[in-house]
Amino acid sequence: MKINHAALGGLLGLALVMSTAYAAGPTDPQIAAIVVTANQVDIDAGKLALTKAKSPDVKKFAQLMITDHSGVNKSAVELVTKLHVTPEPNPTSRSLQKGGDDNLAALKKLHGSAFDQAYVDHEVAYHQAVLDAVDTTLIPSAQNAELKTLLVKVRPAFVAHLEHAKKLQSELGR
Amino acid sequence: MPGVRSLLQASAAAVVSLVLAGTAASSAATNSAPKAYKVIMLVVGFDPSALTVKPGDKVTFVNNDLFPHTATADDKSFDSKSVAPAATWTYVAGKPGTHTYVCIFHPNMKGTIKVQ
Repeated sequence: MKINHAALGGLLGLALVMSTAYAAGPTDPQIAAIVVTANQVDIDAGKLALTKAKSPDVKKFAQLMITDHSGVNKSAVELVTKLHVTPEPNPTSRSLQKGGDDNLAALKKLHGSAFDQAYVDHEVAYHQAVLDAVDTTLIPSAQNAELKTLLVKVRPAFVAHLEHAKKLQSELGR
Repeated sequence: MPGVRSLLQASAAAVVSLVLAGTAASSAATNSAPKAYKVIMLVVGFDPSALTVKPGDKVTFVNNDLFPHTATADDKSFDSKSVAPAATWTYVAGKPGTHTYVCIFHPNMKGTIKVQ
């Protein structure tokens, strides 16, 4: 895997922040901010890939990321609005945002097949990191039952995205 | 009194015939009435993923997910196009045959409808 260093640093940062920032786990407002940021970061990467990717299959994947993660964010925003929860920026959401910005900056310098490879490599690592965070921190920490249910409901989509990205990764590597 | 006996036998036969005819009519009505089925669309898969129906039966796909999905037959016999979250789409079974289908957005979602 030829993942760029800036993006890798961001993902390692996510794992580190998740494990050290919350002695008692993030609160529901913090989880809401993490969920919205995590989805938005992937939507932004997908939008860039739609304009720059060379492979039609990578473009299709990018469109799927935009559609699915927008769907999650729509549901998340509707839920926090209903629950009168205001998403609260925190070390994890800021780390995700910075990792996303660094990834976009690195991807913007690439073209053609190199772009496709770097975008898909990052998608594999990103979805794995987000899944780990969902399993080890977000679902166990969520207090509100509806927020927990939402996280449980979106998890299979992240698994499907990860498998899809891995398949693309192996096809691009041929 | 053979006349009375014959009459009784004829009456019994008529009753049996009527009962049989009624059963047959009722059975025919059951067989011909189209049935309605429901398939839930989730990113983990279609539920149920395999259905056996008869021509004319209705299969309603219900998107209970946060994402749009499709039910698109590999043999092009039906295609829901994009079904939005909370929306539904109904397929009316056509000619007999086995149709495998997928969600074109999430190819891990696969199902089969057998029309017989």
